[in-house]
Amino acid sequence: MSQTSIAPRGAVSVLAPPLWRPEWRLPLRRLASPLAVLVLWQAASSLGLLSPRVLASPLQILAVGWTLALSGDLGHNVLVSLGRVAAGLTIGVSIGTLLALIAGLSRLGEDIIDAPVQMLRTLPFLALVPLFILWLGIGETPKVALVALGTAFPIYINLFAGIRGVDPKLAEMGRVFGLSRRGVIRHIVLPGALPSALVGFRYSLSVAWLSLVVAEQINANAGIGYMISDARDFLRTDVILVGLLLYALLGLTVDALVRALERRMLAWKPSLVRA
Amino acid sequence: MSGATQVRNLTRRFAADRPPVLDRLDLDIAPGEFVALLGASGSGKTTLLRTLAGLDPVPEGAAVDVQLPAAVVFQQPLLLPWKTVWQNVALGLGGPDQRERAEAALREVGLAHRSTVWPGTLSGGEAQRAALARALLRAPAVLLLDEPFAALDALTRLRMHDLVLDLWERHRPATLLVTHDVDEAVVLADRLLVLEHGRIALDLPNPSARPRERSDPALAGLRVQLLAQLGVHSRAA
Repeated sequence: MSQTSIAPRGAVSVLAPPLWRPEWRLPLRRLASPLAVLVLWQAASSLGLLSPRVLASPLQILAVGWTLALSGDLGHNVLVSLGRVAAGLTIGVSIGTLLALIAGLSRLGEDIIDAPVQMLRTLPFLALVPLFILWLGIGETPKVALVALGTAFPIYINLFAGIRGVDPKLAEMGRVFGLSRRGVIRHIVLPGALPSALVGFRYSLSVAWLSLVVAEQINANAGIGYMISDARDFLRTDVILVGLLLYALLGLTVDALVRALERRMLAWKPSLVRA
Repeated sequence: MSGATQVRNLTRRFAADRPPVLDRLDLDIAPGEFVALLGASGSGKTTLLRTLAGLDPVPEGAAVDVQLPAAVVFQQPLLLPWKTVWQNVALGLGGPDQRERAEAALREVGLAHRSTVWPGTLSGGEAQRAALARALLRAPAVLLLDEPFAALDALTRLRMHDLVLDLWERHRPATLLVTHDVDEAVVLADRLLVLEHGRIALDLPNPSARPRERSDPALAGLRVQLLAQLGVHSRAA
């Protein structure tokens, strides 16, 4: 992660020494092309080159978004979707964490848990939607269950690998200095696995939004997905785009929150210490 | 038991068809004694130290008695990157005054000013000093040093020698220093052991008075003897 964030900065400093290109111009320059696209889009719509049935104009999207927000529909649908993600994520991440701890901390647990989880993982979990509908009906349960299932795997895989990746020499050191098995787990194994666990959590989050999009196509009567499929029936591309924007904004916001959490919890990481 | 460490009849082999790494080894270390253990790579030095540290089980038929508390300084500092320096030093300690005790130990190794930083910001020498403070804090009766200076640069290593001697003179733990470095061994230790074919092949007292000069001719004689035992012969001879 850190390498990808460092690379562009390094490339920029080679091409554009700060002496003659001040730092503040860089973000502006990066914004220029998206802004140009927006302007062109709006122009095409206003000139009638782009039919609203194909794509609504940016201004129209804003206006519809504003109307929906004022009427309370938007807030309600966002809350319903957020609720599904929160419930599914809580269940999925708890189960994934629990299984990873059992499999990571004992050989017996690994033998019992790891093989079936790895087998299940190869199955595209979205393909289970028909089964979920048969088993759980078309209410809230299959939607939350789908999010839970999808989010359990990334946290499991990363946390399990993180636990097994802790330097065994550190654990030995802990034993020499009188830590019990419990103490080794608490002071050495779990903190050592935390960076991987957080990476897994971020994967889980992105999977959560993905599963939500699919889950909300199952006969929903509220939620962002419902808003989108309802708009589809009335050819309202503006409402569809508001829904897509909401998905993107929610995803970005949550990711930013997790990254802030990461900065707090992993303050000891040498890459962060020097920054 | 009167000694700080007593080993009897210690045999360890890693494969049944290979000669044992340690072969019916006997070793006694007196309280407060500074012993250096030399040997070629693979001679079993680290295996012996691991057994003394309790990291490897004592095989059947052997008796290993190490006076407690014992502490180890490893070749790498092995500090936990997610704990501050003083928390690392106080690892496994508990008690309300653990921070004061950790900081006192850090003062002794000259690292008081780095007490609250993350280990990731320490230099190699500083990290090893923190590891030394962590061992010291346990007031060990037996201090096991597993090539603790091997990964340091030459100047830092010399400073660490002085620091270890200083601490040893103040606290007097029985000390076993595992090392490759003959010069280091003759300057620091009172007794010099060479491990060969799984047994103590040479057991030399070091009569040279402290403080020792590295250029002391008495040390040069010991050095030649040790090197000869290790299979390195002087060209002049």
